Amino acid sequence: MLARIAHELYWLGRNLARAEFTARAVEAVFQAELQGTSENRPGVSFGSGGLLAMFGDVIEDSDRPRNSQALGQLTLDAERPGSMIASIERAREGARTVRDVISAEMWEAINTTALGLRGGGQPGWAAPAGPYLASQYVKERTALIWGVANRSMLRDEAKCFLDAGGLIEISDMVLRMLHVAMPTTAYGGGARDAAPADGTALILLQAVGGFHAYLRAVTAPPNAHPVARFLLFERAYPDSVAACVDSLHEVFTTADAGPRNSKPVLRVSRLAADLDFQRRALPDGAELTGICKQTQQELSRIDQDVAERYFAGAAAAGLRR
Amino acid sequence: MSSGVQTPAAGSYRPQAPFWDELFEADGTPRPTARALVEELRRLGPEGLTEAGRRRDAIFMQQGITFETSGGGGPTHERPFPLDLVPRVLSGQEWRDIKRGLAQRIRALNHFVDDVYHAREIVREGIVPWRLVASRSHFARAVHGIRPPGGVYTHVAGCDLVRHSDGTWKVIEDNVRIPSGISYVLENRAAMARLVPELFASYRVRPVDHYPQLLLHALRSVAPSAESEATVVVWTPGPANPAYFEHAFLARQMGVELVEASDLVVRDDVLYMRTTRGLERAHAVYRRLDDDFVDPLEFRGDSLLGVPGLVRAYRAGSVAIANAFGTGVADDKAIYYFVPEMIRFYLGEEPILENVKTYLLTDPEVREYVLEHLDQLVVKPTGESGGRGVMIGPHADEVEIQKMRRVIATHPERWIAQDVVRLSTVPTVGPDAVLQPRHVDLRPFAVFGERIDIVPGGLTRVALDDGSLIVNSSRGGGSKDTWVLEDGDDADRAGPPIADTQPPALPDLRYGAWTGQQQQQQQQRVPQPTGRPPHPAS
Repeated sequence: MLARIAHELYWLGRNLARAEFTARAVEAVFQAELQGTSENRPGVSFGSGGLLAMFGDVIEDSDRPRNSQALGQLTLDAERPGSMIASIERAREGARTVRDVISAEMWEAINTTALGLRGGGQPGWAAPAGPYLASQYVKERTALIWGVANRSMLRDEAKCFLDAGGLIEISDMVLRMLHVAMPTTAYGGGARDAAPADGTALILLQAVGGFHAYLRAVTAPPNAHPVARFLLFERAYPDSVAACVDSLHEVFTTADAGPRNSKPVLRVSRLAADLDFQRRALPDGAELTGICKQTQQELSRIDQDVAERYFAGAAAAGLRR
Repeated sequence: MSSGVQTPAAGSYRPQAPFWDELFEADGTPRPTARALVEELRRLGPEGLTEAGRRRDAIFMQQGITFETSGGGGPTHERPFPLDLVPRVLSGQEWRDIKRGLAQRIRALNHFVDDVYHAREIVREGIVPWRLVASRSHFARAVHGIRPPGGVYTHVAGCDLVRHSDGTWKVIEDNVRIPSGISYVLENRAAMARLVPELFASYRVRPVDHYPQLLLHALRSVAPSAESEATVVVWTPGPANPAYFEHAFLARQMGVELVEASDLVVRDDVLYMRTTRGLERAHAVYRRLDDDFVDPLEFRGDSLLGVPGLVRAYRAGSVAIANAFGTGVADDKAIYYFVPEMIRFYLGEEPILENVKTYLLTDPEVREYVLEHLDQLVVKPTGESGGRGVMIGPHADEVEIQKMRRVIATHPERWIAQDVVRLSTVPTVGPDAVLQPRHVDLRPFAVFGERIDIVPGGLTRVALDDGSLIVNSSRGGGSKDTWVLEDGDDADRAGPPIADTQPPALPDLRYGAWTGQQQQQQQQRVPQPTGRPPHPAS
């Protein structure tokens, strides 16, 4: 298939996944920040400040959490690259360029989603409950778009690149979230004497929509460490990093003409093996920040390799920056 | 009782004398803790409340949080669970007192259950008459001499509290069998946060959503499982039960199996559940059905909902049951009368929370007095729950009172009488979005495992009819979200520090692919370092 088309599909997948993940996170933070703390000490810090930090914004101390403005920015502020509307608009632009490849039904689903978000969205979204309503909408719409894609698209290269984009984005988002939310012990250089109390990390599970899956898979209470392990290593949970990497391997093997000596495929399979190894080797309660960081770097290398191997054609056409 | 003054929204809401209003002082000014809330309600106005109410009903219908009501023998129909949009607010200090009082009370009740099935010291001391204990409908001879792990019987308790017109809290009922309503506490909070987030704006409300984890932890801590993580199950009588929603809710939130009797089997005094991989042991059962039905071999032989041999397994100590069999004896309105004495006897403390003045009808002199004053008292059957059989004297007509007089004369031990409590009121959204005072009670939920944990707040039940004192949801009551405020500043709520390194910048399309105008628009909208180059060679 055309390198340009593959490139667009890959980014379509990424943008859709980014919008969906942002929506889930906004919803969770919105609910959590209305309330105070439970008696259980929180083991992670994840609020609107953390959410903004996830998207690479600098948070100032004066910018206290419970900042409904922050959540508003992440929903309908088209100026912000990380906002849901920006992601969806980008997805729409991408979908426009590949209208011949995706089904009419899918284009319509994406287009309708973007139209629904424009101009302040729907009545009632300006109210304080707006961020919640908007994220509900985006969650529902992205579920619909993926549903349509899964039912109507041929299982060919095109679908592979779309999925690959989604998968790499989900794992990237999960890692970003862990990055900002997990307590920092390793980086303190031993300044903090004891390990932090392993408090509750329910919010992280709610932010990815994995609360129910966690309860069924893990018996430990949802504290920072078991939750981080779950989000990193649990292969039975589709949005965990390990499961995403496994699926990435699958789609690249299918899409690649010569997977045996393809750099992205090799890199992905090494990462999958490494995650599996770490899952077994790391004792419970072990520091996970290191592995999170490595995995994220590795994923960005994969992203680069993917671009070079599959999309270089698009670059050759003189579009490379 | 006079009807509430019809006023636009919170505009000029007047509390109704002589009742204590939770949000307003007697002169109609908001209490300090409620000032910001009242301001927000005023801003919301009747239109805002109506709109939020519409969305609430839609959400509840969608999520299946409904209640079945029967219109006087007619067909039952589903209606959304009636959540009132005006929350009740408790200060941190008020809550601490309530919490201490409840923990004390639950500890005493637990001692009492243990005592009744073992040494009976409180009987020998002459404080509680044995005849009264043994005649209670929930007294269970079958469990005499059994002491569950940790000596805990009342794992889940929900005492009903009311606030008198002088502002003091009193306990009106102890629910230590299978108190229900916690799922509504959690769902109410989630719904309020979605429907009227503006109300939360000036408050730090303590969350309630950790209850399932508390319960799971408590159940695990009492489960007799040496080697592995204990298997906990929730036992429901089945989908036809009115509280089935709650059973499923708790099982889902705890991530454990929801079982019915047919899923359970006892072999060699050990409880198992039938799974696709054969029999698997269950170590702790949170049962949501009454003693009477749990084991046809020991309790009612005609029960089809029970598991034969369960009591034997329980006696052998191979399974923990919450609440323990036989706790119902402490959940009896005649026993309730003695709870302050129990607290003094077992704990050597003065009760922090008082009882409502109660008359035990087995005493002939007291009975005489009660029969003469039936029209000023509340009469309740001792072994019932859910407000069944209650007669409120001032609201009853002469025929009912006569009938009650005869019933009491024949079975005085099955009834108690209480002073009419002037339940406090909270502004409540009426049919035309006007706020009116309505009576409320409060049921906090406690979990007793290694220690006693009480979820901040609890279920506030509200009588939706003007002047009504009946708050039971099966009889037309609704509920409110209950806020316990955090005191102190934000310092104690900070989590661990946010990572001091930023994650890498968000990636974006590596190669530009769009053309001309779109691209320029996009650039203006999305300026970012890794984005498209300013002058792409397109």
